[in-house]
Amino acid sequence: MIDFLVNWLANTPVTAAPYALAALGLIIAERSGVLNLTAEGLMLVGALAGAGTCLALGGYPALALVAAMVAASAVSLLFAVLVVVLRINQVIAGLSVVFFCQGFTGLVGTLAKWQNKQLTGLPPLKIWPLSEIPGIGRILFQQDPIVYLTILIFFAVNFLLFRTMLGLRIRSVGENPGAADAAGVSVTLHRIFAIVAGSSLIGLAGGYISVVSVKLWVTGMTGGRGWIAVALVVFARWAPWPALAGALLFGCIEALIPQIAAAGIRVPQYLMLMTPYLATIAVMIWVGTKDSGITQEPGALGQPHVREERR
Amino acid sequence: MRWTTIPVLAAALTGGAAVAYAAGFTLPAPAKIAFLYFADKTDGGWTQAYDEARPKIEKEVGMQIPFVENVPEVAGQITPAAERFIQRGYNVIIGTAFGYSDTFKELSQKYPKVAFLNGSGTTNGPNLESFYGRTYESQYLCGMVAGAMSKSGKLGFVAAHPIGPVNWTINAYELGAQKMNPKATVTVIFTGAWNDPVKERAAAQAMADQGIDVIGQHVDTPTPQIVAQERGIYGTGHHRDLREFAPKATLCSSAWTWEKFLGPELKKIAAGNWEPNPYGAFPGIKDGGTDIACCNSVVPKDVVDKMMAERDAIIAGKQIFAGPIKDTAGTVRVAEGKSLDDAGFWKMDWFIPGVITQK
Repeated sequence: MIDFLVNWLANTPVTAAPYALAALGLIIAERSGVLNLTAEGLMLVGALAGAGTCLALGGYPALALVAAMVAASAVSLLFAVLVVVLRINQVIAGLSVVFFCQGFTGLVGTLAKWQNKQLTGLPPLKIWPLSEIPGIGRILFQQDPIVYLTILIFFAVNFLLFRTMLGLRIRSVGENPGAADAAGVSVTLHRIFAIVAGSSLIGLAGGYISVVSVKLWVTGMTGGRGWIAVALVVFARWAPWPALAGALLFGCIEALIPQIAAAGIRVPQYLMLMTPYLATIAVMIWVGTKDSGITQEPGALGQPHVREERR
Repeated sequence: MRWTTIPVLAAALTGGAAVAYAAGFTLPAPAKIAFLYFADKTDGGWTQAYDEARPKIEKEVGMQIPFVENVPEVAGQITPAAERFIQRGYNVIIGTAFGYSDTFKELSQKYPKVAFLNGSGTTNGPNLESFYGRTYESQYLCGMVAGAMSKSGKLGFVAAHPIGPVNWTINAYELGAQKMNPKATVTVIFTGAWNDPVKERAAAQAMADQGIDVIGQHVDTPTPQIVAQERGIYGTGHHRDLREFAPKATLCSSAWTWEKFLGPELKKIAAGNWEPNPYGAFPGIKDGGTDIACCNSVVPKDVVDKMMAERDAIIAGKQIFAGPIKDTAGTVRVAEGKSLDDAGFWKMDWFIPGVITQK
C-alpha cells in the first residue's frame, strides 16, 4: 500500500508540470486582456523544437528547452500581431494558430525525420540528503530539475504580476485598456509582451513533454493537454497559485490511472479515463458556487482595444 | 433470409449485371496503383509498415506506386485525395484506415471501374475489399517469448482501445505466455488512444513499478519499449521490428508483412476476374498479415526453436483459439473440439483467465 502511494505520488509532478507551466503562460497573456486559446498548438511547437534541438546537437537537453521557449515565443508573435495589431477575433485567431501549429509541426517533424527518435533527456536531480528519506525522498526530492524550476517560476511570475510596475500595467491593460491608455500605458506593447512572455512558458511545457518526460517526438503528442491548460486557467480564476493546485490535482489523477491498472485493481476503465474531465466539471461547479474572490476574470478579456472607439 | 434473397432478386431483374459480378471484377485498362496513407510515412508503426512494404510491392507488380500521406479519417479529405488519383488514370486505390470504410464504400459505388482496397476497413463490395491481419498469431508467438523470458511471471501489455482486434492480441499473448509458463499473467493498461506517448510512458512505468518484467504492446509508438530499456526489463513490439528503438529491451516483434498479401492480391486484380472476399481478406502469417520479427540475442535458442516450431504449426493450420476456452467469468467461449470463427474474433469482448484488466 505504501509502495503504491509512493509510486503514484512520485509520478505526479512529471504529469503536473506541463499543465502548470502552460496554464501559467496563459494566465500572463489573459491578464493583459487577450483570450489565449493557442496553448495546444504552441506546446506542439515547443515539443518539436525541443526534440529537434536535442537530436540535431546530440544532447544538450537544457539548451533544447531554451529552444522550445524561443520557438513558441516566435510563433506566438504571429498570434500577437493577429489579435493586438490587426484586432482579429481572439477566439478565431487562437483556434487557427492551433490548427496551423498542428499541421506545421507534423510536417517539419516528418521532413526532418525526427519522429520516434529517442532523446537523451534530463536525469532526475537528487537533493541529497533529503532524497534518501524513505518515501518522501522519492516523491519530493528525486524529481527532474524542471519540476523544481516550475515552482521558482511560479514565485517569479506571481511577483512580476502583483508586485512590480510592469505587472500592474499588464493587469491594467487587461482590466480597462481605455483607462490604461489614457494614463500613458501602451496597450499594444504590453499585450504583445504578455503574449510572447507567456508563450515561452507554454513552449517550455511542450518541450518538457518531449525532452524530459517522454524523450520522443511523435506528431500531435500533446494529446489535448493544451486544452486542459485552457480549462485550468478558468477554474483558477486567472490566479497563479490556484492554477498550480489545479495542475497538481490533474497530475494526481492522471498518474493514478495507470497505477491502478498496473496494480490489477478492477475498476471500469472508461470511468478512469473520464475522471480528469469529471474533476474539471466538479471544480468548475465548486468555483461557480462559492463567493467570488479577489482575483476574477480580467475586465477586458477578449476585447480588442481601439483607442478612438467608445464603449 | 433477406440477405440471401437480394442477390437472387437482383439476378432475376438485371440478369447480365449479376453474371458480371459472379465472374469477378476486371479493370478496363492496365492497372495503375496508388496508396492513401492515414498518417505520415515515418510514424514508426502502422503507416511506416505500409511504406516499407511499398518498394517490395512495386518490384512484384513492376510499377511505381505513388502515395499521399496524412489523409485523415474524414470523408471531405479522403474523397478529393482519391479522386485526384482517379482523374489522373489510377484505377487501384489502396486505403489504410478503419475510418475510410464508409467513404471507400461510396467511392467504390461512384467509380465502379476502379478497384479499392482498404487496410483495417470494414466495408466490401464487387470492387472493394477490406483487409486486416490475423495479428493474434504473431502476438501469440511474442507471448511465448515473453512468458519464457519473464522471471516474475508477470507480463504487461500496453493497449489502445478494448476492441476486438486489440482484445484478440491480448488473449493470444496470454495463451502464448501460458504455453511457456502456465502461471504467467498479463496485466493490461488501455491508454484510450493509438498515439499518446505520455500515457504510454506512464503505463509502462507503472508496470515496471509493480514488478512486471516484460511489456507487450498494441499502440502505435515505441514508447513502451523505450521505457522497458530504461528500466532494464524486456518488451515485445507490434507493427514493426521495434529493436530499432530499444535494441536491448525488445525481444521480438509482431510485424506487418503487407507485401506478402498485397503483392499477389494486386497481381490478381491486374490479371482480371478479381473476386474480392465479400467479408474482407483476413490473412495470417502464411498469406501475409503479421509475422514474427525475431529475435533479440538474449533469447535462448531453445525458446526460439520452440516458438518457431509453433510458427510452423500455425502455418500448417494450427488454431490458436481452439476449445475449450473459458473467459474470466467462467463462461465457455469456445467449445471443446471447436475453434473460434472469424465473426467471433471481430466481436471479442472477453478475456481469458490470467489476463488482468480493468472492467
